[in-house]
Amino acid sequence: MSELRVSGLDYSISGKKILDQILVDVQDGDFVGLIGPNGCGKSTLLKNIYKVYKPDCGEIRLGDLDALRVSNTALARQLAVMVQENSVEFDMPVIEMVMLGRYVHRKHFQDTSKEDLAIARRYLAEVGLPDFEERSFRSLSGGEKQRVLVARALAQDTKFIILDEPTNHLDIGYQYLIMSILKRQKVTIFAAMHDLNIAAYYCDKVVMMEKGHIVATGTPEEAFTEERIQALFHINTHITRNERTGRLHISYEPDGSAMAF
Amino acid sequence: MKKLSRPQKFLLFLIAALILFVLTMMISIWFGAVKIRPDWIGAILANKTLGRLLGRELFTPEWQENIASIVWDIRLPRVIESFMIGSGLALAGLGMQALTKNSLADPYVLGISSGASAGAVFVIMTGALAFLPGYRVMLGGFVGAVIAIILAVRCATIRKRMTAVQLVLAGVAVSSLFSAVVNVLIYTSSESSKQKTAMFWMIGSLAGSNWTDVKILAIVFIPCLVIFFLIRKSLDVLLLGDDAAKTLGVNIGVLKLLIIVGSTLLAGSIVSMSGVIGFVGLVIPHLTRMFVGSTHKYTIPGVVLVGGIFMLWCDLISRIIAAPQEIPIGVVTACIGAPFFLFMLRRGGKIGG
Repeated sequence: MSELRVSGLDYSISGKKILDQILVDVQDGDFVGLIGPNGCGKSTLLKNIYKVYKPDCGEIRLGDLDALRVSNTALARQLAVMVQENSVEFDMPVIEMVMLGRYVHRKHFQDTSKEDLAIARRYLAEVGLPDFEERSFRSLSGGEKQRVLVARALAQDTKFIILDEPTNHLDIGYQYLIMSILKRQKVTIFAAMHDLNIAAYYCDKVVMMEKGHIVATGTPEEAFTEERIQALFHINTHITRNERTGRLHISYEPDGSAMAF
Repeated sequence: MKKLSRPQKFLLFLIAALILFVLTMMISIWFGAVKIRPDWIGAILANKTLGRLLGRELFTPEWQENIASIVWDIRLPRVIESFMIGSGLALAGLGMQALTKNSLADPYVLGISSGASAGAVFVIMTGALAFLPGYRVMLGGFVGAVIAIILAVRCATIRKRMTAVQLVLAGVAVSSLFSAVVNVLIYTSSESSKQKTAMFWMIGSLAGSNWTDVKILAIVFIPCLVIFFLIRKSLDVLLLGDDAAKTLGVNIGVLKLLIIVGSTLLAGSIVSMSGVIGFVGLVIPHLTRMFVGSTHKYTIPGVVLVGGIFMLWCDLISRIIAAPQEIPIGVVTACIGAPFFLFMLRRGGKIGG
């Protein structure tokens, strides 16, 4: 029931087509990665889904919800979004920031309840920042900010979460930690990501994009081939299976071969 | 002090501000050409309010009737009007800063001040609206403010989207346009008395406050305050930016409309009544955030108190410094506000704190 489905979606800016006949199907509970080179339209696609952009045509459904017809408020009850927010002009304590995720669930004209506070605290602990409640958001490092924003998205308590490069500023440990946290939630996730190994490790399915088109959809095993990665990213790779994790491992081989020099 | 929670800190701030407010109010009423015994002030106020309600005098008057009249009919309305003007400008500034996500925005950012100036100066110079003797300048100013803001919002809306940057830029353009209109009106006038009236109006003045003005202002101020307080949570979310606010479930269109209408009503009615009083709407929200943080649950009551008290002191200074002459209030607010703003800026990125 609660699947995220995009079909026949076109989007253009002043006549130039940015997205062309996009078809995406994210099954209930799946973790789906959106992969593609810079400027291929990943963020634009996500922005169409979370209603910051308005598509030329097409349909977006979240479960029973027709995303293009419902209000922001109705959508926010079903879909949380995590993007980088590094331009917050006004400061606030971390706990307040996480509690803003509870905005859509508040009773009319009421401030946050004890329950909201408990939920915010739980997710702040979950992302590894239990002692950060009273710290000011702007004083945090890039990685800490990212984790606070993940906590806020989780606190929104939705069936779907969209993430736009959620691990961009994180060190390698936190990249995997954040992904593990997201993976163990009972939510359906659609995330634009850059790291192919992380995608191969966590994603049930990947959607690969190039120049506004979907070029491949499937499990990482199906979609990640050395030829396709070469075509999209112009880099040679060697794909093996990691014996210990059982997942694909993508080794990069710039300049044609590892032993070029 | 470090151990206090935010609600406790706010309570402390509130108590301190209220004490300061009562003190300031007493000093404001006490000071003037006619000296009034401080203990009479409380007694006169009590008689005029509680006494009137109970139908008898609580304190036997030892004072002459004209003393009571000075307190009640001249000084008290001026105090209340000053307070509401300071609060209202600060509140409008707070709203504009949330709307534009820019801590350098003020109530005049959308061209309200120059629009109001143009309207008022037009009325002064042409003698239009002669059928409304007491209020024609006020009405002219208000109409000018509304025209300016409609123009700015219209210009800023491109393909049904209105971003903060577009809004600020449109405001700058509209401001310049109306400033030009003002200059033409003043420059081409041959009557120096009207020129002087116009100049005086533009700097801002609280002279001539009366109960009628207080009532008019209250009719705008109180509903706006209530509306801002009801949308306090949405304002918090809006600080994160339009896109984030949308995905968190805010109805951006309605919220922005409420902020624009509220701030325009406040700033427009204040400017039309007392002229352009600068820096209050910019500095007070900053000052308040230094005490209570950015959460609007605290900043809204905060700016009302801080803005009101600040304006009372500015008014006092304007009456004291060149007594028995009064200097225009706008000069005082700018002289205090501008250095203070620079001081905060120099303190190193603490702005918005």
